[in-house]
Amino acid sequence: MRLDRTLVVAKKTLRSLRHDRRTVAFVVLVPLLMIALFGYTFGGELKDVKVSIVDLDQGVLGNSLGKAISNDLANSSTLMIMEHYGPGQANASKADAAIGQVKDGKVWAAVVFEEGFSASVLEAIFNMTHGLTVEQAPIKVYLDSSNPNIAQAVSQEVQAAMQRVLVNQYHLVPPIVLDSEQVYGKGAEFIDFFAPGVMGLAAMMVTFMLSIVSFVHERSSFTLERVLTSPISEGEFVAGYALAFGLVGLAQSLVILTTAVLLFDVRIVGSPILVLLVIFLLAVGMQGLGFLLSSRAKSEFQAIQFLPLVLFPSILLAGVFWPLEAVPALLRPISNFIPLTYAVDACRSIMIRGWGIEKVWPSMLILTLFAAAMLALSAYGLKKRG
Amino acid sequence: MDDDGPVIETKGLRKEFPGLVAVDSLDLRVARGTLYGLIGPNGSGNTTAIKVIVGLMRASAGEARGLGERVPLRTNRHRLGYMPQDIAIYPDLTVRENLEFFAGLYSIPKPRIGSRTEEVLKVVDLLDRKDGLVSQLSGGMRHRVSLACALVHDPEVLFLDEPTVGIDPELRVGFWRFFQDLKSKGKTIVLTTHYMDEAVRCDVVGMMRGGRLIAEGTPSSLMAETGRGNLEDAFLEFAGRVVA
Repeated sequence: MRLDRTLVVAKKTLRSLRHDRRTVAFVVLVPLLMIALFGYTFGGELKDVKVSIVDLDQGVLGNSLGKAISNDLANSSTLMIMEHYGPGQANASKADAAIGQVKDGKVWAAVVFEEGFSASVLEAIFNMTHGLTVEQAPIKVYLDSSNPNIAQAVSQEVQAAMQRVLVNQYHLVPPIVLDSEQVYGKGAEFIDFFAPGVMGLAAMMVTFMLSIVSFVHERSSFTLERVLTSPISEGEFVAGYALAFGLVGLAQSLVILTTAVLLFDVRIVGSPILVLLVIFLLAVGMQGLGFLLSSRAKSEFQAIQFLPLVLFPSILLAGVFWPLEAVPALLRPISNFIPLTYAVDACRSIMIRGWGIEKVWPSMLILTLFAAAMLALSAYGLKKRG
Repeated sequence: MDDDGPVIETKGLRKEFPGLVAVDSLDLRVARGTLYGLIGPNGSGNTTAIKVIVGLMRASAGEARGLGERVPLRTNRHRLGYMPQDIAIYPDLTVRENLEFFAGLYSIPKPRIGSRTEEVLKVVDLLDRKDGLVSQLSGGMRHRVSLACALVHDPEVLFLDEPTVGIDPELRVGFWRFFQDLKSKGKTIVLTTHYMDEAVRCDVVGMMRGGRLIAEGTPSSLMAETGRGNLEDAFLEFAGRVVA
């Protein structure tokens, strides 16, 4: 194996890219677009979810729990109160009207406090403190659950408002408190979680695509034949491509890291160099896989058909946008065979947990073995031709 | 190897594909400094024979030797040049970058690459287009770049697969003049062609049909043997004898 010939192939591959401005734009803009779009769409919290409140609660001795919770909800930035029928004006038909608004899609939820809500709560508290049977007082929430995220956010807001009112106004402190301490990821937001995923995904997508198309082109234009009559070995040729596309992956990761830090304030607790190394290994492996698969294709059109086969499982099962724990148990073994799973896990651990190589080496070892296997198989495949 | 021995030699060479014998019992001997034409119609097996000799395909039976070494070559690859039938250069690189790439594959020392590139470009008359992208060149110019890439490492033996297909008559004449010129410098050239009228310019012609070598000799001896005035008629005569 001679390094000079490997470098010659890498240089040629990068030079080809340089002359093709559209491809350069593709290499740089795809990751930029991905992180920007994902950052702005996924990174945002729910705001101004439209709800209506119908407060029929008569209260007890001038104190209305319904009113207190309604006021608390009105201060929430998550919710936007469209209609608020207070005790004076509210009646059952108003409740029907609010439910009608949900049915018409004008609001996502109608929160209804029944007439005797405060009385029921106080009775429940009395019974609880006197060891009697407790009947819980309901807050009725009519939900449009066609969007589970929004439905969940509304329920959480109502529950949180309820608890705040009970603690602040009635001093009913729950006997159990969750005392959590963040070992890692203090102040981390959703974008901190998925930025490493998007980085791996972008590098993987672009290097795989470039590799599969380049190699089919090498074969269909017969340049590969010409190259293989020269003294270069199959391994040197494959390694040259791997080096070039590994560098392309690195360049993309730099674009993503810079964008993530500058635009979305993503924090990198660990070593950025280690992150780049992980992406390099992934890019080399994916380049090898592209090489291997494209040898099974007769044209660029056929080669492109491999893209969804590789990309969809990676996007869905590698833990890019949601944790592996959210992947159904039946499909989870597949996640273990997807290289992106290990790259994303390692990058996340480095960037959020600040882990060093002493802790992420198992993932890096798997990526190295994957890359080595792909390159060896590609070189072997070339050797076995004819 | 012995300088007087054949540069290329095959014995009982056979190459099979599923349902097809492309090359059958081929015995070739090409002496140093010869311009050897392997001629025959499409599908006669001459391209396959060259691909086996340069190591792009494995022989099914028999053996081939290049510069004394059994193919696929390992140690002597740098002494061979190959120009495939298709243009086979990188359209998204400049002319100079293509040449530098192929020179690099043959480990030509870096300081030498520049001068060697200039030399070869001068020969194919493309010095003024060296920084142009290949994709922006005419078909004829691309053919010349392709030939330059096969020559950049100054090989002793040059394999040219249908080098004159698809090029205009003027360039064709230029190419043949250039092949003669290379030969006069001691290079050995093995080329395939199905243009029989061109093959008359070769020193030795091997006629192939159905994967077999049906006749071999100088163009004049082949024409004399059949009593025909051109190689095309001579080929048809030999082909008829084989069938008979």
